Amino acid sequence: MTDSNETIVMTGATGFLGSHLMAALVQRGDRLIILGRPQGTRPLRERVDALLASLGATPKKHQVDVLEADFSDPSCGLNWHQYAGVCLKATHFLHCASDTRFSETNRLASIQTNVRSLASIIELARRSRAAYFHYVSTAYVFGAETSSCPEAPVIAARHANVYEETKAWAERDVAEECSRLGIPYTILRPSIVYGDSRTGQATRFTALYHHVRSLSAIRDIYLKEIRELGGEKARRHGIYLDADGTLHLPLRIHLPRRGSVNLIPIDYFVAAVLAVLDRPDSDTIYHLTSNRPVSMEELACYCERFLNIRGIKVHYGPAPEGFAPNPAEALFDKFVEPYRPYLSDIRNFERRHTDVATEGIDPPELTYDVFERCMAFAAGANWGR
Amino acid sequence: MDCLEVSAEQALQMAKGCRQYAMCKIDFLGTGICESGADRRFVAYYPQGRMLLYAALAEGKIPVTARAKEIADGCTLCGKCDYQCYFVTGMRPTAVMRALKRFVVGHPQPDRAASDADPLLAEIRAIVGSRWADSDPAVTVTYSTDPCPLADQRIPRYVVLPESAEQVAALLALFREHGIAWTVRGNGTNILGFALGDGAIIDMNRMKRIEFDEKNWTARIGPGVTAFELQSEAVRRGYRVCVAEGAASVISSIMTSGILSLLSTAYGTCASNVVDAEFVSREGRRFSLNDKEAPNLFAFQMTDQESRFVCTSATIKLHPRSDDEAGVLVPFQGLDDAVAFARDCAVRRIGFGIGILGAEYVSSFISPTQAQAVTVKETLSTKLGMEYLVVVLGDRHALRSVADMGRPLIDQKLFRTLNLGLNALGAAEWLELLTEVSQEEPFSYLKIQGFSELAETALGPSPEALLKEVDPDLRSFYAELYAGSEMTDLVWLNMFRVTSSRIGREKHFFPILVYLPLEAELLGVLVREFAAIAAKHGIKHDLGFITPVDDGKRCMFEYDYFVDHTDPAQIADFRVAAGEVGAVIEKYAAKTGTIRWLRYLLHQGVCRMENLLYC
Repeated sequence: MTDSNETIVMTGATGFLGSHLMAALVQRGDRLIILGRPQGTRPLRERVDALLASLGATPKKHQVDVLEADFSDPSCGLNWHQYAGVCLKATHFLHCASDTRFSETNRLASIQTNVRSLASIIELARRSRAAYFHYVSTAYVFGAETSSCPEAPVIAARHANVYEETKAWAERDVAEECSRLGIPYTILRPSIVYGDSRTGQATRFTALYHHVRSLSAIRDIYLKEIRELGGEKARRHGIYLDADGTLHLPLRIHLPRRGSVNLIPIDYFVAAVLAVLDRPDSDTIYHLTSNRPVSMEELACYCERFLNIRGIKVHYGPAPEGFAPNPAEALFDKFVEPYRPYLSDIRNFERRHTDVATEGIDPPELTYDVFERCMAFAAGANWGR
Repeated sequence: MDCLEVSAEQALQMAKGCRQYAMCKIDFLGTGICESGADRRFVAYYPQGRMLLYAALAEGKIPVTARAKEIADGCTLCGKCDYQCYFVTGMRPTAVMRALKRFVVGHPQPDRAASDADPLLAEIRAIVGSRWADSDPAVTVTYSTDPCPLADQRIPRYVVLPESAEQVAALLALFREHGIAWTVRGNGTNILGFALGDGAIIDMNRMKRIEFDEKNWTARIGPGVTAFELQSEAVRRGYRVCVAEGAASVISSIMTSGILSLLSTAYGTCASNVVDAEFVSREGRRFSLNDKEAPNLFAFQMTDQESRFVCTSATIKLHPRSDDEAGVLVPFQGLDDAVAFARDCAVRRIGFGIGILGAEYVSSFISPTQAQAVTVKETLSTKLGMEYLVVVLGDRHALRSVADMGRPLIDQKLFRTLNLGLNALGAAEWLELLTEVSQEEPFSYLKIQGFSELAETALGPSPEALLKEVDPDLRSFYAELYAGSEMTDLVWLNMFRVTSSRIGREKHFFPILVYLPLEAELLGVLVREFAAIAAKHGIKHDLGFITPVDDGKRCMFEYDYFVDHTDPAQIADFRVAAGEVGAVIEKYAAKTGTIRWLRYLLHQGVCRMENLLYC
């Protein structure tokens, strides 16, 4: 891929996964054409430059072209000159752009971004005579009830949200369209991605971060009340400061069943994708997932230790009759509502294709040290606020 | 520098900035009002008048007269006006009062006022008594301006304060005989520029009689009675009246524009609350609405009108209250949903007051200082997505119906928590997080079990916390005020409307008011048109309120433009914009046949509501 005649057209470069991929590609010398949208009045070029700088990647002159695009337009929102230029240079496509919102209220936007826009991008790839079309999907295209998930197309599934549903839909469209047009393709399915396991760095703080940030917010509510207002309400909710300064914060989390959370760090994701880009197998699906998902109990312990709190208890099965959550529990329950399906996950992801393509690159384990590094970075960045 | 010690230039700027909302003429904080004002009744003797007087003197518009010195000396520097004015505008008039005293001491006055030799003034005084008519510029100049950016200064020749209908009739006959134009004024300027005139200003401030007829559920009032005064008396007896802003003269509100209130949802507007009224015609003839031979004031015409009669008393309906009344706020991200909800409530006759309020309105009302209002608006609209809040007032049955409608809502208890804890709202990361995870059903976090308790824990609400940005010497007084329930009681606030004037705290506001069908599409079009005009001219703007009337078939709609009334450039821009706004309203009025502009309602406010809305 570092062949001087090759150029990767990339979408989603300002997203979490895309930004880290872009930086890595720049660092190893690939030529890129970034297609994307401005953010309000902030031009795409400015956003791309800022992200590259924050990730320590300095592109050479003419290494990164940036074009503002609109994928709802058949010509991707490019003028004739820009479109022809892309067709002339592009050799590979890496489509990362995605609407990652779970909310049903965003259904139309999700369908537009995740599904409908594929047509114009794949057409651009066809006209470019692209050697490969790489599509970044998600491991969660399988329904939550699927325990064994092969690196194969998803036939049917009950999805937890519109994000999963539209990504599964998009996978089918990518496979069908690329096959019909004779474009070799790969589908890359990462599980839940967090920051860099070595540095803690990340450009976005959702998913795993959301839970920690939520707990942090709840902790701060009570610490403030205890320190500034005497802690009467905290005591009423069974919350108090232990002698060692730890906040006793009883949170009973009821989950329908025991499961685990499949998490990979962004550095592994990037390394695995680069490996696949270098040695792709045509029309192949890759699971970029962890071999050792973490349990909720482990995550609870990590959170307690990181936040200096105590009292999180995970219960499996339905909440007992008459269970009345205290306000802190009710709040946490609301915080994690969109992510609830992922907290009791039983999906196991096959990795045969990935293991072959990424030989020697193993997903690091989420130890407490890695967790702390990532969360400290996030907290230092004020959770991206 | 002490906050009460300002330079002459600062005093002048503050004096010119007086909003003239007449809040210093009512005892809305329980401080009592300015003693000299209560005694002499002319605007000049109230803090508002002294602000205007100082501005006129300092800019050399009028000379220092003996009356000016008397007015200045009449101020005891008691500081009541600071509590009152700061509550509304953030200004401290006492500093201007001091500057006024210094100014008149430094300038010699003539021994005798020129007005003493005016034979017509003597005739006027013969009717009302020598204390109650004046032509001294120190008095007349305080009736010469209006913060309305459409109004030009007009210094009247005379200001007269009659005490009775007989005196009014005699005055009108006298003015007719001498060809003197007259203008009636209730408690204030009306902020639309219609209480200004070159001839005589008839100030109704002395006609403050209130007589209750509880058997017939009415109160007969004089034209000097303010909304706050009447509501206070009505509430004391267990009733409620449908009135406008606290400082507004009830009769002036009715006669000029009809009562614009959230309570109009249940009680109607225009003549709906008027059982009878007495008038004096230009010719000095007296009649009442209930006379068979009386002019038909119930009619409405879509043309500009002029004042033809002086209302000397009105008999107003009393409405019952129950002991389980409260209010709720239902937040919305978009106007369409807010309109649909408000309409749903109105059609089902839920509650006795309904209004869709914009974030600017709510933020201004609940914030003790302008800086807080800016932060609160940012928090409400940007962080929490609460662009609109529908307030519903009702008894427990009505509020249960609202709850049954399933929308997330802010009840009375939570409202108090949010209001008293609003300084912590901006930094409430947990609320931002909740907003993020509540996309499926916006504001669904309000349904979290124990949310109110949680908000109390997180926000640490208290009067002291709310008031920490208020001038230190005023804090303890306001803290006592907010320790009571009234300032955070949605029902009380909407009945007495003492915080409404805060909408003009940053800059004076010009209300664009129309009646129209309660339809989201039409409202949306007008909002967009008004917003575009304002944006084009660089004018701050926002939706004020929308209140359903007549079972939700129609609504009152106020859109506000904000203009610094002391800045000629902003006034000039506004005047161009106002012309464009008028053209837009006329266009849609012609297109729909259902829009009624306040411009045409002025001086027809006692028409039948149905004539206004449907004829």
